[in-house]
Amino acid sequence: MPTTSHDTAMILKGKKRERFSMEKQKACWGWMFVFPALLFFSVFSFYPMINALYMSFMQKDLLSLNPPEFIGLRNYIYLIHSSDFWNSIKDTTIFTLGTFLPLLVFSLILAAFIMSRQKFQKFFQMAFYSPAVLSSVVAAVIWLLIFNPRGLANQGLNLLFQTPGIDHKWLANDKMLQLSTIIVYFWKYIGYFTIVFVAGMGAIPLSLYEAARIDGASSWKAFWRITLPLIKPTTVLVSIMAMLQCLKTFSTQYLFTTSGAPTSPINVITLNIYNTAIRDHRIGRASAMSIILFAIMLFLTWVQFKASKSDKVSYT
Amino acid sequence: MKEKNVKKVCDLLIWIVLSGFTILILIPLIFMITASIMPAAEIMKMPYPWITSTVQWQNFWNGLQGPDGSFIYLRNIFNSLLVASVVTFTTVILSALTGYGLSKFDFKGKNLVFMLMMATMMIPFEVIMVPMYMVIMKMRIQDSYLGLISPFLISAFGVFMMRQFLITFPDEVLDAARIDGASEPAIFRRVVFPNCVPAIATLSILTFRTQWDTLLWPLLVVQREEMKTIPLYITRFIAETHTDEGIMMAIAVIASIPMFILFFTMSKYFTSSGELYSSTK
Repeated sequence: MPTTSHDTAMILKGKKRERFSMEKQKACWGWMFVFPALLFFSVFSFYPMINALYMSFMQKDLLSLNPPEFIGLRNYIYLIHSSDFWNSIKDTTIFTLGTFLPLLVFSLILAAFIMSRQKFQKFFQMAFYSPAVLSSVVAAVIWLLIFNPRGLANQGLNLLFQTPGIDHKWLANDKMLQLSTIIVYFWKYIGYFTIVFVAGMGAIPLSLYEAARIDGASSWKAFWRITLPLIKPTTVLVSIMAMLQCLKTFSTQYLFTTSGAPTSPINVITLNIYNTAIRDHRIGRASAMSIILFAIMLFLTWVQFKASKSDKVSYT
Repeated sequence: MKEKNVKKVCDLLIWIVLSGFTILILIPLIFMITASIMPAAEIMKMPYPWITSTVQWQNFWNGLQGPDGSFIYLRNIFNSLLVASVVTFTTVILSALTGYGLSKFDFKGKNLVFMLMMATMMIPFEVIMVPMYMVIMKMRIQDSYLGLISPFLISAFGVFMMRQFLITFPDEVLDAARIDGASEPAIFRRVVFPNCVPAIATLSILTFRTQWDTLLWPLLVVQREEMKTIPLYITRFIAETHTDEGIMMAIAVIASIPMFILFFTMSKYFTSSGELYSSTK
């Protein structure tokens, strides 16, 4: 009798060990699948992030071999007193607000319009999306020609306002230059966000609209009472995405300034970081600027999340 | 009766707005294409003649040839294709691998790993580009394909996407393969990867498009003409010569051809990336 119970105990133990080892083996494989990515992110994300923070307290020339010199908060203090930096903040703010709000509003309206059509839904989506297919450099080249004094932009405006021969200085006047960069960006991304909204609206069950129609609600009312509240998650997502993208804008501004447009009205933070690091070789100062940009982005994302959570609606 | 009329007017207005907007959005594209076969003098005519009287295919030849006749643009096109393809390839494989590891295996620290990877999505490239550049300099791979490619081998977004996709993958299928004696790498290659095709297609398109568009990173790491990518070539063209507008548009058209081919053949996957975002509520 005792032997058998001993045997079963042994068998149980063996089974347990086998199971245990199999689980261990699986865990091992899990690590192996994940490891390359982890290694990559360590080298190309975590390290640079920590390094950016570290460098922001240092003084370092890009090309010199001297080790970086610790200067405490002096990079940040310099930036706070630098009118050039505040100009960048102003330019970035103007660009971000000027682009992201119209993007949000227009993509929402256009998506609602598209969804109200029975025909050509795909066609409009494709047409609106097509500029996003071009690279931003190509977009900038096209628009540089359109904004040329003899280009389509002047011709169009003059035709609209019946003011032949007036040059609106799209690339020379400060305000117009800011507007020009906004137009390029808006043109390029409107289709993308429209599609995101169309997808969001497509997920709303049709029965809701039918019920509303039976109750006698107009489609206008249905939009305000059903569509808008139900696509709120999409709206939050689009607004965060669009805002972050606008804060990071670089190509359009860079290409416009390279082609000879004045820098100061469109000297957005990323352009300033690039010039400070690569043209002026001031790594420390550029890093401090990067950290500030990062802080701004984190803060704004947090604010939007908070704002969207505060008045939660339930739909049952 | 009156209500019906109001509805009809509304309906018509929506059609007008949508078509008007479509035209406005397409005008720059049509401008690019029509101008690419025009003599420069005609492009700068006021008003702009939408259809040229003398088709000038030479623009494309001259654009490929470049101002110095070295055909460096061909090399730059090749570079863009190569870099974008390699990046797409590695991103897809590594994202699928990592997403698989994170969704179908249990190990200590899994959640931490996942959180850390997702946290990197919050770090904009622009913020870490300078230290990244210094990493590349330390590795002595600036001005090379390796330098262009290595920071983009995998994307956190790709990992997220593949993990979400694979979480619903039936465990029974995997266990069956295990019982049949398949090794873990074989299971990934033969069972998991082929079943991810929709997600992989979307991720590929997304990655290729982003990579095709990248200007900032090549601007940092590349100096030699023969290592440049298309965006850099066009940038140089803008900066140094304010020459022939027709040639400029021809260059722009050439730079857009691969993307347009992808767009028209796989438009489903372009738009599904939008759906993807809206479904990550």
